[in-house]
Amino acid sequence: MTKAHVNKLDNQDLSALLDGEQPLSNEEIALQDTATLGRYALIGDVMRAESEDAFVLDISDSVAKALESEPVYADFSQKQDAQVAATGTDNVVAFNWRKPVAQLAIAASVAMFAIVGVQTLPQGEDSPANEIPILQSTPLTGVASPVSYSSEPALENAEQGLRELQQQRIGALVLEHQRQARIAYSLEKAHTKAQAEEEKN
Amino acid sequence: MKVITFILSLVILAPAYASDETPAKELLLNMAEAVHNRNFDASFVVVKGKSMEPYRWLHAKQGDTELEHLSLLNGAGLEMVRVDDQVTYFEPQSAPYSIATDSIAGPIPEVLFKDIERLSSEYDFVLGGKGRIAGRAAQLVRIESKDEFKFNYWLWIDAESSLLLKSAYVNHDGEMLEQLQLTHISVTEEPAPLLLEMLNRDFPTPLPRDAVATEQTNAASNNWQIGWLPDGFSLLKSDRHKLDLNNELTDYYLYSDGFVEVSVFVQRPLPGRRPSGSLSSGATTIYVHNAGSFDVSVVGNIPAMTAKAIAESVARPL
Repeated sequence: MTKAHVNKLDNQDLSALLDGEQPLSNEEIALQDTATLGRYALIGDVMRAESEDAFVLDISDSVAKALESEPVYADFSQKQDAQVAATGTDNVVAFNWRKPVAQLAIAASVAMFAIVGVQTLPQGEDSPANEIPILQSTPLTGVASPVSYSSEPALENAEQGLRELQQQRIGALVLEHQRQARIAYSLEKAHTKAQAEEEKN
Repeated sequence: MKVITFILSLVILAPAYASDETPAKELLLNMAEAVHNRNFDASFVVVKGKSMEPYRWLHAKQGDTELEHLSLLNGAGLEMVRVDDQVTYFEPQSAPYSIATDSIAGPIPEVLFKDIERLSSEYDFVLGGKGRIAGRAAQLVRIESKDEFKFNYWLWIDAESSLLLKSAYVNHDGEMLEQLQLTHISVTEEPAPLLLEMLNRDFPTPLPRDAVATEQTNAASNNWQIGWLPDGFSLLKSDRHKLDLNNELTDYYLYSDGFVEVSVFVQRPLPGRRPSGSLSSGATTIYVHNAGSFDVSVVGNIPAMTAKAIAESVARPL
């Protein structure tokens, strides 16, 4: 079991669904009551730093009021706007790195993005790619995998868990490749330089 | 008479053959020079199959200092800032960090803005047709792999300004796998204010080059034997480290042929018998090979067949 798996959120499925990372299934939605769904949507909006007037969901006023009296974790009100206007030039990049909450939320979803962005190989008729089996990255809803023929929910869960592990791993590998590739160019230059010097000696 | 015709045709044809390669290279060199010396503000999209990534790309030359800013505009985002020989990456997952290098590792292969001559042993440079891209007259230059183990790369270069207008990874059936298309570019006399602002900012100090080199000392190159790689690929680094996202330990190998990078990961196998297989996103292929007592994963902008062959060639050293 990896650490990431243990730290899984209770309602990760719902969270992923609202982030557009999981296919919509009616049962899942039906399981959630309206209040929960609304709350998750609100959390999503706040984390994505959407402005107050962009809350399109009918969130009750009481929630908004309650939020006002909460300590401020991520302040997107005018107070900050004024601050930005005054010290705005401090920021080289358009990104606001001072939002730890948003950062956390994004971190959690990045792993998923890496997978969702990956598609299976296009299959040509006679192409050699045909010989290569294609990994099932996201489970197809409604299609039974061999294991789920068994009525044992435990087995099904195990299969699901494994798939998640593999998805996590592939996401981690792709990210790592991207990062390592950044130093490739300078490494290569250092290598060719060293080689040239060796040849000289 | 026949002999004379033959000789004449040779004389006429010879420069035609020779000139096919040189103008292509010249165009690329002109492009590199233009990209390094002009002040421009461009937007482009990268299309990978069904997904799309928009970027904004700013570049300026202020005196002898080059300033560059590349940012991914969708999702969590990614910002890359270059001030001469220092590139800083701002990512949502981690603290910003700098690398001492003179080019940004973005969606465009870095070597294209540098010394493309080093690719000559593995790739051919061929002049293609003319066309209209992003509202401008463009000349196609094809970088063709000499064997079938790598993708080809096509570039459309602005006939007037020599700037890049479009590029694509193309497989050997001529299908475009991953396309990069400029949607807008403006070339200005003066550098953009945002870039000039970067001159007054402090960025994280990069690791000294020596430190990067000494990483080689704890190399993992003896742990596994990688039996096969396409010609031209050489090992850049190898080590054993933990992956950021899931804390898994991996033996890691980074290879490059000067144009594309290939990562090889050797890891503890996942529980249960997961079948081997591949995934792809645009030109990027991920091949996961289940070798029984260990898993090999190969990631890079290479055809799936190549990734499969590399993954299956990994064995325990004798």
